[in-house]
Amino acid sequence: MQSLYQTKTAKIVKITEQTENIKLFEFRFEQKSFKFSHEPGQFTMLSLPGFGEAPFAPCNSIGKNLELCVRAAGKLTNKLHTLKIGDKVGIRGPYGRGWPIASAQVKNEKLKIKSLEGKKNLLIVVGGLGLIPLRTLLSDKDRFLDKDSIVQIFYGAKAPEEFLFKKDFDKWRADGIDLQLTVDNECEGWDGCVGLVTALFDRRNVVSDAKAFLCGPPIMYKFALKKVKEHKFKDENIYLSLERRMHCGVGVCQHCAVGSSYTCKDGPVFQYSEIKDVEGAI
Amino acid sequence: MDSRQLKNLFDYLGKSWLIFGPKEIKAGGGERQISIELLSDFDKLVWDERLPFYSFKRFFVPEAEGLFKYRNEKLLDEPAQSDKIAFFGMNVLDLRSTLLYDQVFREDVCYQQRRSNFLVIGHNIMPNLGPAVKPQVFDENMLEHLSFDIFFLALKNSIGREGARDYAVFAGSPKGQKVLDNFGYKDYIKVEFKGLVKEGLIIERMQMLKDKLENHHSPKIWEELGKRCIECGKCTIACPTCFCFRIDDEPALKEGEGERERCWDSCYYQEFSEVSGGHKFLDNTAGRIHFWYFHKFARIPKEYNMLGCVGCRRCAAVCPVGIDIKEVLRNIEQS
Repeated sequence: MQSLYQTKTAKIVKITEQTENIKLFEFRFEQKSFKFSHEPGQFTMLSLPGFGEAPFAPCNSIGKNLELCVRAAGKLTNKLHTLKIGDKVGIRGPYGRGWPIASAQVKNEKLKIKSLEGKKNLLIVVGGLGLIPLRTLLSDKDRFLDKDSIVQIFYGAKAPEEFLFKKDFDKWRADGIDLQLTVDNECEGWDGCVGLVTALFDRRNVVSDAKAFLCGPPIMYKFALKKVKEHKFKDENIYLSLERRMHCGVGVCQHCAVGSSYTCKDGPVFQYSEIKDVEGAI
Repeated sequence: MDSRQLKNLFDYLGKSWLIFGPKEIKAGGGERQISIELLSDFDKLVWDERLPFYSFKRFFVPEAEGLFKYRNEKLLDEPAQSDKIAFFGMNVLDLRSTLLYDQVFREDVCYQQRRSNFLVIGHNIMPNLGPAVKPQVFDENMLEHLSFDIFFLALKNSIGREGARDYAVFAGSPKGQKVLDNFGYKDYIKVEFKGLVKEGLIIERMQMLKDKLENHHSPKIWEELGKRCIECGKCTIACPTCFCFRIDDEPALKEGEGERERCWDSCYYQEFSEVSGGHKFLDNTAGRIHFWYFHKFARIPKEYNMLGCVGCRRCAAVCPVGIDIKEVLRNIEQS
């Protein structure tokens, strides 16, 4: 029996600055025979002994090296930001339940259609770092969704320089993804939408016959939910990725409990109908 | 088995096990208290209706334990070492909490390694929890729903005759049988563990409390308790079923080396639910005390099909503001 908390060593092979304090790290595992694979929306635990562990969602394309996009915000992440190419970290996971789409390993056409359960299209509402756990899905859209599914993204950031994965935007748009951006405040050089992510609901035609995937800072959910519900999304067609403090990642330590569920094991993605009556979930 | 043979068993076990059991000690303020202590003298062992102040929890789930030593990014898998410990005289309430530990940590190597070195010896003398509480009555049918290696049932006609009791002896595991066989006592009864209690009053009560909590029949209870509770966390330390933990790194003096530890945590502490950026999902006392009760009376029942409370009332005994779990549960029931 191996320890639940043992990690696998991974070496940093690439670092890309995303914003002033957010970097995208690419890792290669030391053990050559180990092939990391995840499903969109799951998370891994990244460990720097002496500085602790925390959960981060992989955002690489399927089959590619693990990528984690991390903001320097505390002891662990500040340390991670000082690391260079060739430095090593520990990784365990992936853990949890991701977005309700066909398994990345399943390339069966029938399963793909079933995956959105009767809904053809997808509305993604994200704020700030919330785009990260959706990048795998967006980069490999045709792998997970029907070719003619419309994917619409409402993505809000504080300021234009805070948008993540800007280099991916052209590819996503070329793949037919309707990417709608907004920034919190007016600023020079920005002629797009201004306002919180919810503002986009009033200024754009919202995709219909769709499921909605929500991911963003804790404060976003209440307001984003109100908007999706105004647009007649049913509870069972709304999915949210919850953020919680995690220590074990395997449903034991209790930090991430939401009602009778664990964010690490039963989530982080929940169907809204599963948690809407749970006190403190949203 | 009579008391003389029991003493012989104690001495026999002492040759190859560390024996821990209830002993009377002087606590702060000169008060007498029952505590689980390392014993070398059978005469210091206390088998009566007094509940040990702290439970056996810290032996099963220590307040801090090293999961790994680390060197740079590597967590070193060193074979865990633990002592062979015989718990000589665990009451039924504390025995119940071991059922929970065994389930919660069933996939945990550190726990399993430690647990495999334990010999659990129970007895049927039910703790007296004070004049306000109706004492629980031991019933022989409880045995097949408890996990133990050896169990001593004090025979009725001998209770009260301190020091001269007679016991019926039960073996609840191959390990218990082996110990008794090697000791040379053959007159024991084998008991097979039949799993957790599946029906009866306790299960009905569990379902009812779970339903009330899940459907928030009682928001006022938490508001009121939130005003009283001072979040000292004593109840989480005293409670045998509180097992929440943190994982912390303790650096050593040498650069890049140290230990990754698992330590008890308390859901009453502010940072328990804090995430990067400072947001706390449990942001007030009422929410945190609700979390504590919800865990024991809704989440554990859902996950493990057992109550997350053994009824020992240690939480009430240590609470500085007099929050009494019995009253709280009554209020939930009546809500």
